[in-house]
Amino acid sequence: MAAPSNSGLRLTGSAGAALAVLLTAVLLLVAGCTSGDRPEPSGPAGRPASTAAPPAEPLRVQLVTTAKSPPDGLTAKRAAQRAAPGLERFLDRYLTAAFVEAAGGEAGWDGLLGLFDKPVKASARKQLDALSLGAAAPKVSAVRPHRASARAVVLYGDRRPAAATVRLAFDATADTAQGSGQVHLRSVLQLLATGEGWRIAAFDSRTGPPK
Amino acid sequence: MSRRTRPAGAGAGAGAGRRGPAWIAAFGLVAALAAGLVVAGSPRQPADAQSALAITVQRAHAGSATPTLKRRIVLLTIGSDAGAPKFGRGGSVEGGRADALQLIVLDTVKRRGAVLSFPRDSYVPIPGHGTNKINAAMAFGGPRLLVATFERLTGLPIDYYALTSFDGLTDIVTKVGGVQVNVDMNLRDTFAGAFLDKGRQKLNGRQALAYARARKTLPGGDFDRSRHQGQVLLGGLGTFQRQVAQDPAKVMTWLAILRDEVKTDLPFPELLRLALLATKVPASGIRNIPVPSVAGSAGGASVVHLQPGAYALFARLRAGKLS
Repeated sequence: MAAPSNSGLRLTGSAGAALAVLLTAVLLLVAGCTSGDRPEPSGPAGRPASTAAPPAEPLRVQLVTTAKSPPDGLTAKRAAQRAAPGLERFLDRYLTAAFVEAAGGEAGWDGLLGLFDKPVKASARKQLDALSLGAAAPKVSAVRPHRASARAVVLYGDRRPAAATVRLAFDATADTAQGSGQVHLRSVLQLLATGEGWRIAAFDSRTGPPK
Repeated sequence: MSRRTRPAGAGAGAGAGRRGPAWIAAFGLVAALAAGLVVAGSPRQPADAQSALAITVQRAHAGSATPTLKRRIVLLTIGSDAGAPKFGRGGSVEGGRADALQLIVLDTVKRRGAVLSFPRDSYVPIPGHGTNKINAAMAFGGPRLLVATFERLTGLPIDYYALTSFDGLTDIVTKVGGVQVNVDMNLRDTFAGAFLDKGRQKLNGRQALAYARARKTLPGGDFDRSRHQGQVLLGGLGTFQRQVAQDPAKVMTWLAILRDEVKTDLPFPELLRLALLATKVPASGIRNIPVPSVAGSAGGASVVHLQPGAYALFARLRAGKLS
């Protein structure tokens, strides 16, 4: 009896070790799964977990710039380098006002509309849905940017940027009480350099879910 | 027996009688592990599968806008016969004679307009200089005097002028890759270098200039030439619109070319706004109107006299009509 018992005890000991390993593995796996679904730290507490949310990234516009400078002015490369930081800041301001800070709908649109040239501002006000979160803003608790990229062609006047055409692409996850979903912006912005910085003089823009 | 009935999940000191339940537990854990792997795999599904689970936060929207400008803009475009080294023309562009004269009247709200083409030999009053050919006004007092002459002649306030030369026109057309023009007659004009067959075609820089300059062999003389100049202008607008529709950044390309080839009193912000507006003005909505005139003479010189229809046209424009 003892042998089998001993044998049985040995088997039981091996099974226990296996069980311990398996249990640890399962626990680790479960823990891993849970952290994968856990809301990002940037999101509000108690927000429903997103099944579609890639990791959030800080908003940073990846900009590629080319320039057209006068024959007697800066080289095109130098002109592009000089123009890029200001353009990047402007596009960052735009996306922040149109999406990131628009979440909740409490910020209003004055900040965003302030980025438009006066002769196009009234049209922009009527088309906020194509330029920003628009009417969806109040139900959105947070916007988590994933990608913001732009290509700009800058026209130089007298050694300074005068105008630019920008193709802008922005992808993000928006969180709501019902869950999360993706928001997108694809825009062509015609910009005018003013004493107060860049302003949008014309636009062709679309928003909404991915196709 | 009591050990056999011990619950499977009891402590590590289990005896031989617990072998069966231990394996059951092990299999259970393996099953749980397998299930865990399935669960763990689900967040790593392809993005499309994830998207299908996400909610729609914002429906699709599209919008566009160009600047809203004041109701009507009147622009005088001038082609100077000076300041063109490539054509052996010395002097300054502003000090030459104005050999191509178009008055563009644009209704920015209706997005329609008219291009009035004036014969360069139009015999008209020039402020401070009596009556003379209209093209002499710029030689007397630069673009400003020419603008003043037009304002007195038509009664229309002119907002801006844009001035270029033979070199400028050929360079503009060459740099934009040619302009589409519906050539309205067969041309064999040695003097202007115009050798073109009737029909819609893309003109290069020299061809465009030749088409805009040819006069001596044309049945309508200066009248036909004025119409051709308007055609080249509208051909340029059509080309601009087509290029910008394909690539919006072409607006910058065209503005860079104009910056280098055209002298204007248009402030840059207005030039940009006008260019953006022009992308939405159909060329078919802009009429090319040669100002009614007839050949004549004055003091022994060949001139062109504007006919009553010209003054009626100016009156209609002053009243806000475009035809």
